Amino acid sequence: MSIHRPSKQFFGLRKPVGRRQRLLSALGIWIVFFGVWVFAAAAGLVNELLVPAPQQVFATTFDLFYGRGFASDVLISISRVLGAFAMACAVAVPLGVMMGSFPAIEAIFAPFVSAWRYLPAPSFIPILLMWFGTGEAPKLALLFIGVIFFLITLVMDHTKHVREELVETALTLGANRGTVVMKVIFPAVLPNIVVAMRQMLAMAWTYLVIAEIVASSTGIGAMMMRARRFLKTDEILSGIIVIGVLGLLFDLLFAALHRWAFPYLRKV
Amino acid sequence: MANGSALEIRNVSKRFDLGKGRSVTAVEGITFNVEQNSIVVLLGPSGCGKSTILRMMAGLETPSAGEIVIGGRTVDGPARDRGMVFQAYTSFDWLSVRKNVEFGMKINGVPAAKRRAQAEHFIKLVGLEKFADVYPSQLSGGMRQRVAIARTLANDPEVLLMDEPFGALDAETRWLMQELMVNVAEQTNTTMVIVTHDLEEAIFLADKIVFLSSHPGRVKEEIRPAFKAGKRIDDKEVVIKLDGYSDLEGHLMHLMREEGRGLE
Repeated sequence: MSIHRPSKQFFGLRKPVGRRQRLLSALGIWIVFFGVWVFAAAAGLVNELLVPAPQQVFATTFDLFYGRGFASDVLISISRVLGAFAMACAVAVPLGVMMGSFPAIEAIFAPFVSAWRYLPAPSFIPILLMWFGTGEAPKLALLFIGVIFFLITLVMDHTKHVREELVETALTLGANRGTVVMKVIFPAVLPNIVVAMRQMLAMAWTYLVIAEIVASSTGIGAMMMRARRFLKTDEILSGIIVIGVLGLLFDLLFAALHRWAFPYLRKV
Repeated sequence: MANGSALEIRNVSKRFDLGKGRSVTAVEGITFNVEQNSIVVLLGPSGCGKSTILRMMAGLETPSAGEIVIGGRTVDGPARDRGMVFQAYTSFDWLSVRKNVEFGMKINGVPAAKRRAQAEHFIKLVGLEKFADVYPSQLSGGMRQRVAIARTLANDPEVLLMDEPFGALDAETRWLMQELMVNVAEQTNTTMVIVTHDLEEAIFLADKIVFLSSHPGRVKEEIRPAFKAGKRIDDKEVVIKLDGYSDLEGHLMHLMREEGRGLE
């Protein structure tokens, strides 16, 4: 006797998609993308000087790393992002937590911080160049300015959302203000701080590329600007791909950190 | 049972400022005593300010007039002598059940060995010994409230304050938790003040019921369930069948009705 199963629709309305289907779908869209690109390049539909074939871009990427020391540019870019980002976090996390915990501290800093958020960081590039010259300092400063004010605000908002009952429970257990902040508010908000850092790191990459394109002789952005001068579109596209892959890697790294550091958030 | 007072509420009023010079009086002229080792239930319709009174006992709100006295001192802010259990879950999700229960003792500088023994004892008391090392997010709602109760008791408060602690639980879990509280009270001699709007819960748990009228909250009646003959019975089925149970329930229902009509 056969059991009648209701047939499963491929486009089920608001039905969750299985792991296999999701994987194949994700692969599919990229295959289509590269397929169109390969076809367009091979068929001569695009100017090969402006749009080199993907296989050529990958070959160039390989050559850049193994033949022309591109790795050192990549390392410089990474260290710029991480250096500036670490400095921004070192200020923004404690300050944001304090602002979210003590309205008096928020009253002091919030008017200052929120004003800065409306100033686009790249608008500081000319003055930063005049102040700091062309070394590492102006790049780090741009990333710092670009990230810190948003990060402070995010951390503060998350901190404010720590439930009042948790704070009151700690108080009725005999905790003083300092203990409440350190032992309850901070651990309660920490997972959200890591999420905010993950979002802001992506933003730091954006500012890095701007800084390196505008004023640098080293780093991924500088390599791309050099390539532009010699009409090396394949190298420019290599740069874009490397930046994308790095962004993705750091995002995955943060996701892994989140999973590892907060095992109690895993769904059972 | 009736010894001295653990907590005295003396002519307490609370007004909340609504801004623009307007204010609302939540409770007015509240006076009652919480006897040592007794279970006092604050009962009344919603809006009678029973939670406000409890929060003032905890020191989380300040009375606009009158005072609350514990052990001869006027309450001024929260402290470990008045532990509180909330309706909402308050487990610290980043700590295991054991670490949750140890939390109060740890911040109060209780030595590690004593802390561990004490935590062990109270985890057993609330029946969580199998779950001591899991995270609260892996527990059901009733079990999380057990964690909160064990954490508060392990911190050795003079009075345990509970604000509708079982309001978020389903009926049968609530029933079990009520029986647990009678057992805990018997074994630990903890003085308890419990806020509820559930008549059954009030009758089952209370050595004394303080019934509050609403808008503003005032003490309408103090009731000692005489039918329990001064005993605590930890079986709800038994209590419900005692002579006098339904009379008291009828009386409380009548009081609730009166308050309800007053609003119309």
